[in-house]
Amino acid sequence: MPTTAAPVSVPVGPNLSMFDPAFLGLDEFGAPVHIPLAYRRLLIAGEPDGGKSSLINTVMAHIALCRDARPVLFDGKLVELGPWEDSADEFVGPDMDHAITTLRRLQTVMNNRYAWLLAHGRRKVTAADGLKAIPSLFDEIALYATVLGTKAQQDEFITLFRDLVARGRAAAMPVIAATQRPSIDIIPKSLRDLFGYRAAFRCTSAGSSDIILGDNWSHAGFCATTIKPTMPGVCYLIAEGGVPALMKVAYLTDAHIATLADYAAWVRTGDRTNPHPAPAVLAA
Amino acid sequence: MSKPNSRSSFGRSAGRSTFGRRGGTVTVIEDRVSRSYARTAKVAFYVVSLVVGLLAATITASYLPPVAAVLLGVLIGVVVGLLVAAIVVAWPVLRVLWWWSPEIGVTLAAGYGWVLLATHTNLLARLLVLAVLVGVPASIPAVRKRIIAFAWCAVTRHRLRVCFNEFIITNRSGTLPLILWARPTPTGERVWAWLRPGLSLPELHSRLDKIAVTCWASAVTVEAASDSNAALVRIDVKRRTVLTGTIETPLLGLVDDGTPTAERVVRPVPTALDLPDVPASNATADPGPVGNGTRPKAAKPAKNGKEPAPEPAAKATGEDVSDWI
Repeated sequence: MPTTAAPVSVPVGPNLSMFDPAFLGLDEFGAPVHIPLAYRRLLIAGEPDGGKSSLINTVMAHIALCRDARPVLFDGKLVELGPWEDSADEFVGPDMDHAITTLRRLQTVMNNRYAWLLAHGRRKVTAADGLKAIPSLFDEIALYATVLGTKAQQDEFITLFRDLVARGRAAAMPVIAATQRPSIDIIPKSLRDLFGYRAAFRCTSAGSSDIILGDNWSHAGFCATTIKPTMPGVCYLIAEGGVPALMKVAYLTDAHIATLADYAAWVRTGDRTNPHPAPAVLAA
Repeated sequence: MSKPNSRSSFGRSAGRSTFGRRGGTVTVIEDRVSRSYARTAKVAFYVVSLVVGLLAATITASYLPPVAAVLLGVLIGVVVGLLVAAIVVAWPVLRVLWWWSPEIGVTLAAGYGWVLLATHTNLLARLLVLAVLVGVPASIPAVRKRIIAFAWCAVTRHRLRVCFNEFIITNRSGTLPLILWARPTPTGERVWAWLRPGLSLPELHSRLDKIAVTCWASAVTVEAASDSNAALVRIDVKRRTVLTGTIETPLLGLVDDGTPTAERVVRPVPTALDLPDVPASNATADPGPVGNGTRPKAAKPAKNGKEPAPEPAAKATGEDVSDWI
């Protein structure tokens, strides 16, 4: 059953690309912060109300308006990435089986892309290839890693997730993952270290800040505990420079998100691979 | 450079000279630093004199008799050696002059400018110029803030020098890092410094809290300022929080207001929104699927005990994998 009506006019999308830097916000010196997304893995963490959802929605807004992105969304809370569902090829809620199946599909796509690259004598997907990037966004990764499903399913989820993080770069399948505290019981350290970009929102301890940003950054004066609770959206971001930069991410209101999501869904009309199932309702 | 037994730094009275019992002295350079530079100057004098003298004698021998060439070479060598030794000996003083160069420059410019003004204008014109110089910054906040920001740059340079002098010196001769230039930033000041042997970036990292206190700042960060030279560092002194406003994404400007929206899936709205609406018999450990119940089943372990191989996407979802690439 189709989910969208036949377009009454030709949708014209913005000319954004996954291979262009995405605007995230302003740093403390007033300079705009842009990061490239196509080949990067971004880990977002911090205490609740720190501003993680602002960053992940800002990133998702850029992805949704890109002409060459087919995002896959994992959101255990539904409401953070749910508005963007119609711009995604797959939206996974708090369903472990669905999450694992989707990750397996992504793994297969990744294998196919590498076989395609080998056949063409290439080492990574570029903007000129015509292939679309497949960014995977995970909100509350801890839900899948520690709460939902059985222990075996959680282990399988982490294994598939690690494969996507480790090999997705050259296949233009970047990963953006958010969680409150990426400690070893949530994400193994070896997996955490695969994320080159880190965004640390306010933390309650220097240890938590170091877990996100990397060892000893708090010792060097870059500690997310110094971010005041009255400053949501402020974070330390490690990106291109390799040194944490204090920045404030752009804020999208619910109305802004709805506007952008509606527009993105409109310009992607007919670009979907399969219709989304309706969510189940837990009622009395 | 200083009186014996005097240990205090430049600009500070060694004794309670004004109100105390001892006579006042002002130490420009500490003894051990002075001795170190004198020793270095001697070595520099001998080495430079010898090398330059030989070189000069060799060159002048082509134009002059040998004896005259040797004498001229010795003369040139001694002069150049003395010049180099003088620079080495005077380096601590030159460094102090560099530290105070903004204040010296401003004082000289103000004094010379006033004298020049007094020479060529009458009192009314002088008062008018003075009123403009004072009134413009006083009445225009942007100008005033800019002047204050640059004044803080000068203050921060001196406070950093105090840091290095009081608790960061680690080398044997006691030489201080060269504090280069500073510029205002929205959060405070950014200062560049050239570290001397015996000091490193991790050493500064371990003293950031003390540096912040000394600079009257809320926080200080130090980073390498050069990819090729670890001696050049950049110090950010932060005394203001600027990330307070709301930042809007420019993506909103890309959306056409008149664009029709796509028809969205109308979802059933849950009704059990309070705990009494959900009896215990309906509660499960797993929140369950969000989908419509058509979720694929999880892979079961194989009978041989090994993990099953990932199934092809086409088999799991009923769609062609090639659609994904």
